[in-house]
Amino acid sequence: MLNKRTLTIIKRELNAKLLSKTFIVMTLLIPLFLFGILSLQTYLINATSDEGAKLIIYSETDDIQSSVMQQLLNSEYVKNGKYVITFKMADGSNFGKYLEENKPDLLNDKLTGVLFIPKNAVFDKTIKYYSKNPNNTALFKNLRSDIDKALVELYFKGKNISKEDISFAGKKVNISSFKVSKTEKAVEEGYGNLAVAFLFTFLIYFSLLFTGQMTMNSVVEEKNNKIVELLLSSASSKELLTGKILGVSITGFLQMGIWLSPLILVLSTSWFMLPEKFVLSISIMHVLYYLINYLIALITFMGLYATLGSIFDNTQDAQSGVWPLTLLIMVPFFIAITLENNPENQIAKITSMLPFASLIVMPARASLIDIPVWQFIISIVVNIATMVLIWPLAGKVYRVGILMTGKKPKWTEVIKWLKYKY
Amino acid sequence: MFALEVKNLYKTFDSVKAVSDVSFNVPEGAVFGLIGRNGAGKTTTIRMMMNIYLPDSGEIIFRGNKIGQEFRDKVGYLPEERGLYKKMKVIDTLLFFAELKGKSGKKIEQKAIDYLNRFDLLDRKLSKIEDLSKGNQQKIQFISTVLHDPEFLILDEPFSGLDPINTELLKDIILEKKAEGKVIIFSTHLMDFAEMMCDYIAMIDRGKIILNGKLSEIKSDFAKRNISISYSGNISFLNNHQFVESIQDFGNEASIKVKDENHIQALLKALIDNNVQIKNFSANEISLHEIFVTLAGKENGNVK
Repeated sequence: MLNKRTLTIIKRELNAKLLSKTFIVMTLLIPLFLFGILSLQTYLINATSDEGAKLIIYSETDDIQSSVMQQLLNSEYVKNGKYVITFKMADGSNFGKYLEENKPDLLNDKLTGVLFIPKNAVFDKTIKYYSKNPNNTALFKNLRSDIDKALVELYFKGKNISKEDISFAGKKVNISSFKVSKTEKAVEEGYGNLAVAFLFTFLIYFSLLFTGQMTMNSVVEEKNNKIVELLLSSASSKELLTGKILGVSITGFLQMGIWLSPLILVLSTSWFMLPEKFVLSISIMHVLYYLINYLIALITFMGLYATLGSIFDNTQDAQSGVWPLTLLIMVPFFIAITLENNPENQIAKITSMLPFASLIVMPARASLIDIPVWQFIISIVVNIATMVLIWPLAGKVYRVGILMTGKKPKWTEVIKWLKYKY
Repeated sequence: MFALEVKNLYKTFDSVKAVSDVSFNVPEGAVFGLIGRNGAGKTTTIRMMMNIYLPDSGEIIFRGNKIGQEFRDKVGYLPEERGLYKKMKVIDTLLFFAELKGKSGKKIEQKAIDYLNRFDLLDRKLSKIEDLSKGNQQKIQFISTVLHDPEFLILDEPFSGLDPINTELLKDIILEKKAEGKVIIFSTHLMDFAEMMCDYIAMIDRGKIILNGKLSEIKSDFAKRNISISYSGNISFLNNHQFVESIQDFGNEASIKVKDENHIQALLKALIDNNVQIKNFSANEISLHEIFVTLAGKENGNVK
């Protein structure tokens, strides 16, 4: 299949794509886009409404009030004025009335919330929060541990227990994660691998969608401009399709190479020192695997996109027919980004060995945990088999579709094309 | 020996018989015309000859072998629906299509430049195709059809949509290639061009060959008992006239078939007796157009 004509077509594709503005712009834009999305997400999570919160802490006893006050007034968020806290001490029976008085302020946002600490809290650690927006996670994250500490200290006060013991009891368990793998000794796991898994998943997702779109449009263009008949007078449709797919795939592969070059440099040289938090426990082999996997993904999906393009004779129709392919990329993408919770979950395990999905899920899994060899082998065999099987099917539909003009064909007709003798 | 033998081609799309039992032979060195009206099956036949469509049955023999890549490499094809890559530069376009035919290097580049020069397009060498006028795009398309020096030229409706200057250019190229001994096959619905240029023709109508052979022989066959006249006056008396087998009246010209060769002189006399002014009277003469109308127009009335 790789003859002179195919090479000529590949060469033309590379000339048309690699030197085009779109390629350069996309190569720069996709990483920017990626960082844009990630920072937007981080921003949105952190920018919840605990900034400038005005709180009233209503304690039932003096002890509670002084203990809580001591903890909170020493905390960062009160010191730097992020939260403004007013303390109030009164009997619990008056709380209902007190709350009623403050209701207007709560409703018009002059007051963020009222925290009620009953005297029993020292025993059952149950307190109440009243607010217009009672599920303020960011606020609780800060307050919870400090109030907890205050209550613990109060509980043990006068029980002849040393300050160290109390502080130990109040301490949370600190879990440091270590990755165990066959070859190396256990290494402490940082955020690095998680970041890499995200990077791998996002890059393959966006670039498959973008490159696919481009491939589809260029096939539609060839069909629409009637170039295809001229091409077919020199080369067979198989050579044409092969040239197109390989040309686009090489372009995409180079693009990915450019994107990953910083990572490759980090892994293969000692020029960069990563902060300890981001130390990577993956090797250059992971990146190589990812690149090869990406090439297989490109060839597989570009075959599908080119075929889809051949079915339609204008971009609008093609746009409206592309959804099955988009789903085929999007669903595994969502599975892959939820892997951080547990890369061993069953769905991830199964999808990492299914056709199409494997191409996107497996690289993310592999960068988080050690994959058993048999799963790796299944995944690779499945992927290569899919790629090889798609070729003749794509070729058949392409062969018929590329010369078909006029009314938009139905899917049932397209299936019929598989049986056509052309 | 024939350069190309087309044998019993059949092609059906869904339930429409596009081509049925089409056979003809193209001799070496011939200019061959595949003629017929729009939708008659010319393009389908040509696409099967180009191996773009696979026939349902039948075969095409190129110098003794079934057509394949070897034939493709030797053909210069001008499809009915023209198209080029819009964003590609003129010179890149030409070299790309030549390379697909297996021709590349300095020599072919020089040849491309020579052609561009001849077609007055050398200054547009580095322009993008989309920046050229429609007529100039057509010229580029012709050049890419002939640049690799094909032994066969297959041109599907080459004259449709051409201005007179480009028509002349294309005619020159066809005649030039003919002089070089190349085989030229073209399809057209324009009978005048076919008559002017073809040595051989095959006439196709509703997917079937209705006439096929050497043009001069066909014409002399059909010309017997046929008279072409240019006239002014009224010749309606010839309808149902005792000598006349059939008549096609175009107003200023008419083509008349008499029942017997001996009636020719009598017909002339009858015309004069009826005060018809005769400007031209040629016996045993017929145009391809008239043949076509006689054969294909029987059921469908006038055909241009």
